[in-house]
Amino acid sequence: MNLITQGIYSFLSVVGFSVLFNLPRKLILAASISGMIGWVVYITFQLLGTNFIIPAFAGSIAVGLVGEILAVVKKHPATLFTIPGIIPFVPGYGIYYTMLHIVEKDFNRALTTGAESIFIAISIACGIVLATSFIRIVRPNIEKIFKIV
Amino acid sequence: MEIAQIRRIIRICTRTGKIMLQNGAETYRVEDTVQRMAESKGLMAVNVFVIPTGIMFSAEHGIETITVLERVNPEGIDLESIDRANEFSRKFTLTDMSIEAAESNLDALLSTPQFSKKIRILASGMGGGFFVLMFGGTFIEFILAYIASSMTVYITDTIDSKHLNFFIRNIIGGFTSMLIAVLSVTLVRAIGFDATLTMVIVGPLMTLVPGVSLTNGIRDLISGELLAGSAKIMEALFIAIALAFGVGMVLQFSLKLL
Repeated sequence: MNLITQGIYSFLSVVGFSVLFNLPRKLILAASISGMIGWVVYITFQLLGTNFIIPAFAGSIAVGLVGEILAVVKKHPATLFTIPGIIPFVPGYGIYYTMLHIVEKDFNRALTTGAESIFIAISIACGIVLATSFIRIVRPNIEKIFKIV
Repeated sequence: MEIAQIRRIIRICTRTGKIMLQNGAETYRVEDTVQRMAESKGLMAVNVFVIPTGIMFSAEHGIETITVLERVNPEGIDLESIDRANEFSRKFTLTDMSIEAAESNLDALLSTPQFSKKIRILASGMGGGFFVLMFGGTFIEFILAYIASSMTVYITDTIDSKHLNFFIRNIIGGFTSMLIAVLSVTLVRAIGFDATLTMVIVGPLMTLVPGVSLTNGIRDLISGELLAGSAKIMEALFIAIALAFGVGMVLQFSLKLL
């Protein structure tokens, strides 16, 4: 039940951010679904009790895969689906908190949150690059499948 | 082909790259697009070097080397423009488009349709508001975050139309988002409901924080674009510093209030 509500929230949130990023209207639904899948994967891994890197890594692999497949199907660049898709777990809030701790002269917490957000960003980037490279290898097969369907 | 025509073709290539880069496309995509466009028109030894603030282009035509430098000012993320520029470049590469037609197509790219102001403001509320719910906020906190996010985007959009420097823009953005959040939380508490400030502020800040530029910067670093990646990470860092400045100003006064 929790997963379903979380999925709905993330879907609507990504719809909002898609409009802010001026995504073409007909692609908003697809991008939001990719964001929702990413967030549900993220939450699932978080519930399993892994450390803070694995959920973001798994989520971004999901977003990357869905984005690349949508790019093949809809014939638009994959960025259009991955940028709104990674929004839910992007560490923007973390880097903001890092700066705030520095302003408040709390350097220990600044270091912790700063390192954490950089590692989350690295894992998201790794996940997306991994998914992209994987799809590039299997792309001919996907196109074949969708031609049949 | 004449040299004057070659120059016009190169202009078309670099301007397409500029549009993509300005609206937040990845470095490798811009380099790839410009290179393919130039090579499809028979230019030799094409080299494209892209950093977030500029495009350097050089190509050989006969015995001459032509170099073009295009200065770029990033303007945030606009995916519709990237999509259209991408489509244009594909058409330009695959078909025998005349130079005049390409130039008029390129001019059309400069005015892509935008969502109306009302929809943008409503959507930004949605983006920020549901983000609060994702992090376990209550319904009241959702409504406060919705209002605060909408107001923040309204104000930053107004600043953007005045073309202020990005640092000042983010200081003002952070300041207003925190001010609205503090005021609304105090108001709600006075009525008798409960809301926590740290939860409400998540929403409006999500519309401002540079998470996407940080991630894109690291993605550039991973794929070997060391200069472009470092530049994007620095940009993200300075946006975060500006936000902390703006938010910090309000926090100093509000700590006694809450």
